[in-house]
Amino acid sequence: MEDTYMNSIIEMKNVSYRYPVSDDWIIKNASFTIEKGKFTAIIGNNGSGKTTLCNIIRGFIPHFYKGVLEGDVIVDDKKIIEYQLGQLGEKIGYVFQNPFIQVSGVKDTVFEEVAYGLENLGVEENEIIDRVNEILQLVKIEHLREKHPMGLSGGQRQRVALASIIVMNPDILVIDEPTSQLDPIGTEHVFDIIRLMKEKGKTIILVEHKMDLIAEYADNLIVLNEGEIVLQGPTREVFADPRYGDCNIQYPHVTEVALKLQKNGVNLKYVPIRNEELPESISWASVGESVYD
Amino acid sequence: MQKNFIQQLHPLTKFFFALFVSASVLIIPGFIFSFLVFPMLLLIAVAAGVAKEFFGTVMKALLFLLIIVFFMQLFFYPGDHLIGQWGIFKWTEEGLNYGLTLTSRILAMGSVFILFFCLTEVRDFVKSLEDAGLPPMGAYVVLSTLQIIPEMRRQANTIMDAQKTRGVETEGSMLTRARAFIPTLTPLILSSISSTEERAITLESRAFSAPTKKTSLHKLTKSTADRILPFIYLIILLGMVLWRILT
Repeated sequence: MEDTYMNSIIEMKNVSYRYPVSDDWIIKNASFTIEKGKFTAIIGNNGSGKTTLCNIIRGFIPHFYKGVLEGDVIVDDKKIIEYQLGQLGEKIGYVFQNPFIQVSGVKDTVFEEVAYGLENLGVEENEIIDRVNEILQLVKIEHLREKHPMGLSGGQRQRVALASIIVMNPDILVIDEPTSQLDPIGTEHVFDIIRLMKEKGKTIILVEHKMDLIAEYADNLIVLNEGEIVLQGPTREVFADPRYGDCNIQYPHVTEVALKLQKNGVNLKYVPIRNEELPESISWASVGESVYD
Repeated sequence: MQKNFIQQLHPLTKFFFALFVSASVLIIPGFIFSFLVFPMLLLIAVAAGVAKEFFGTVMKALLFLLIIVFFMQLFFYPGDHLIGQWGIFKWTEEGLNYGLTLTSRILAMGSVFILFFCLTEVRDFVKSLEDAGLPPMGAYVVLSTLQIIPEMRRQANTIMDAQKTRGVETEGSMLTRARAFIPTLTPLILSSISSTEERAITLESRAFSAPTKKTSLHKLTKSTADRILPFIYLIILLGMVLWRILT
């Protein structure tokens, strides 16, 4: 545990935040550590403060949105207040929720749109072309390269937005519901990309509602409920925690099934969170006795 | 679209040409030269393959203005040499002269800038200004405005439909449509303001304010003609000024 603490890349200590002219604290006394190279998912119901938390991590709070921020936010051993907003762009990539506004509005093709961040970072032209080509291929949007960014569908825009951020190669990726407009195949695909980013050593913070995929990919979970962090820890432990059930957040489907079975008297060796774990998690010896009770 | 020689010129070369023509019609007295400018511009437009667009825009933008200006000057410019009278309106030689001079200049200057925008894509022009030292923020403002206008039109249609479903009458007589305009306008303006904030965040997440010098994939090249032409303009202008002083 001491070791992982050393590798923390984002640290929050007793962070609370209130939007301007609002009396309610949106984030209440949140403390957590995100380790370098880990995939952390933030989950919670609508309005629980997930996006606000992302904005704090990205530094838009307090650099862009005013309001009251209490506590310490530390990114890479430096307090977020000490960064300039422009410096954070290279360090933390932020793909946000609404894909319809995530276009620069000055570029005429998807290719140029994806290249925009690199131009701003002052990357040399030939390298830009190579990197953009590579990312277009990775995100599988090569067929869109000459299309106008304003003329794309929601799902296409979401992929372009993701591509535009990961092309900048930031160490930390904050991704807020990247699959809300995508079909199941597109969703799988985005998670594939996220997994690939993790393999490259990126630290990933993801807000998502699709629990099955979170169970499959995420290392750690942070559970938010009305602005408070109610649970945090390794994915498996959090889903198995009885307090998770009280938060009224969806379980992975297989976990839900298993817990229902348990309620009806089936003993579980452990709480399964992935589909393939279900058969082996059930203690079959107990089934014979209890099932006809 | 294949670009021909004239279109391929550097935006600043074309811009200087517009300035050059504007200056020369002010230097050369009388209206004959200024009226000759328009057919010359038309020839350039034909050579560049934008004649139709150019002529159409000039007609739409300038014709009405020119007619009004001409008659205003004709009737109301003070002068002694009466040429004709119709009711309370009388026109003088001075008025006729001044009207022709003014309209010829407006026509020349207006059409040369219209030709400039027919020949130049705005993003090329903005890029050339950026190369010449315009801050990226300013360039962004100009370019994004161009893209935002069609986007806002789309937004306005969406709002119009939304208001229609709520029972606002949007079709019918002029008055009905004018009345429907107000409930469309407020949400349009408010949503535009709120999307500004999101746009700012989008730009920020693309490292817009990164403390480095930006690069650009969009490059403008200067040909030999681009280096020579501005000097030619300058020499001709100087010649004109000298000619005016000496004669």
